[in-house]
Amino acid sequence: MIEFKNLKKAFGDNVVLDGVDLLVEEGETLALLGPSGTGKSVLLKHAIGLLEADEGDVVVDGISISSATAEELKGVRRRLGYVFQNAALFDSLTVAENLCLAQDDENLTRGVSGCHQEAVELLRRVNMPADVLDKMPSELSGGMRKRVGVARAIASRPRYLLWDEPTTGLDPVNADNIDALILELGRELGVTSIVVTHDLDTAFEVGDRIALLYDGRIRALGTPDEMLANTDPIVMRFVRRSSIAAA
Amino acid sequence: MSAKLRAWLENVGNAALMGWAIARVIPYPRQYLASALSQAYNMGIRSLPLVLIMAFLGGAVTSQQTGAQFTGGLPLWVIGSVLAASVLTELGPLLTAIVMMARVGAAIAAELASMKVTEQIDALYAMGRDPISFLVVPRVVAGLLVFPPLVILADFTGIAAGWGVGLLAVDGLTSADIIFGMRFYFRPWSLFFSVLKGGVFGLAITFIACYVGLQGTGGAEGVGRTTTTAVVATTLALMVLDVLMAPVLKAF
Repeated sequence: MIEFKNLKKAFGDNVVLDGVDLLVEEGETLALLGPSGTGKSVLLKHAIGLLEADEGDVVVDGISISSATAEELKGVRRRLGYVFQNAALFDSLTVAENLCLAQDDENLTRGVSGCHQEAVELLRRVNMPADVLDKMPSELSGGMRKRVGVARAIASRPRYLLWDEPTTGLDPVNADNIDALILELGRELGVTSIVVTHDLDTAFEVGDRIALLYDGRIRALGTPDEMLANTDPIVMRFVRRSSIAAA
Repeated sequence: MSAKLRAWLENVGNAALMGWAIARVIPYPRQYLASALSQAYNMGIRSLPLVLIMAFLGGAVTSQQTGAQFTGGLPLWVIGSVLAASVLTELGPLLTAIVMMARVGAAIAAELASMKVTEQIDALYAMGRDPISFLVVPRVVAGLLVFPPLVILADFTGIAAGWGVGLLAVDGLTSADIIFGMRFYFRPWSLFFSVLKGGVFGLAITFIACYVGLQGTGGAEGVGRTTTTAVVATTLALMVLDVLMAPVLKAF
């Protein structure tokens, strides 16, 4: 369970998060919607301790991120898989090395040859062939890089997956493939996911519940049907495009 | 407190914390040794030709200028003393440091800044891995490993170049003068000081480059700005360290 408690964050005078309260239940996929630049990714980065809250806290499996020791934080991070917006693959390492680095320490100490089988299995899970193992990230297309980023995120067998704009910059076909992958991994691995997106199609496709972040707070939260029925003008403006698309 | 002073103090504090984090990893060579050796190979072998060229030119200038300034006023063997003293205590370590700052320091800062702005550093944290032991310690250790041998080679090349060019360019100068002058000056401590200075410079270059690189922000422009900051900060630090180390030579 991941719980955001009255989370506040400002960068200089720019208040990005102004008291976010949000509870992500075990096993669900929560889509976090919001306009560009509203702090969706900032919120996600607090969950893994990449950013420090000005006020409030994030609690993951009962561990407070703001007061966690280095060891506790490391443990939390091993339970969370983070899919970065631009994959954030290590560009000086091959695909195989990227995947090995994310695995357990025992696998890492065995070197690339030691974790080769695991790497092939990870690629299979994201529907990629094993022949990309020796390629450098710069030799892959945007969609393939995203998939390798997903494979790397699930390498430590996380309980939670945090997806930062997983379909941004992808063509519709690749975006659909990533949506399918989010659903598939949720089913197969039983992970709890937070999917940060401004892509309404993705939010309605993968989200068990959808939250709308607006003006630094959670403006609305509910199932896709509840969001479509919401009469708040701000929410309506957001979901209208999706309902038109669905129709 | 002014914003600039506050930012400066924050940088000093953060650099001290990074120094402490490095010190905590150093006792566990298994975490970084393989990567450090690979970095040292890249730093050392690829920089060697330029280091030797710079040392050759520095030595050649020293013997010619000493000859031009002292001829008629002092015995010619003084050229040997000045050459050995200049190369061992100043030119060898400093010219090596300048080459390494330009070749290695700038590259480290740009690489780490680029990793920072493309979220690769965040990805390391997210995987529960420590960028200090994974990225910083190997580079700092490599700097420490590679500088002493480079400085010794630069010293040797600088003195040899100064000797050869001096014989060609200074009227009446003989090898016997050079040898007498160098033996008159030389103490083993001078060579040790040269290597020590190189080690300190190596540590400063890699540490500053890593620290500044990890502070990188923005896109391509930010990476460029970070690299410039690293080179400027290192240049200043090298000169300050040079001044601070001068009394060490006198003390022994």
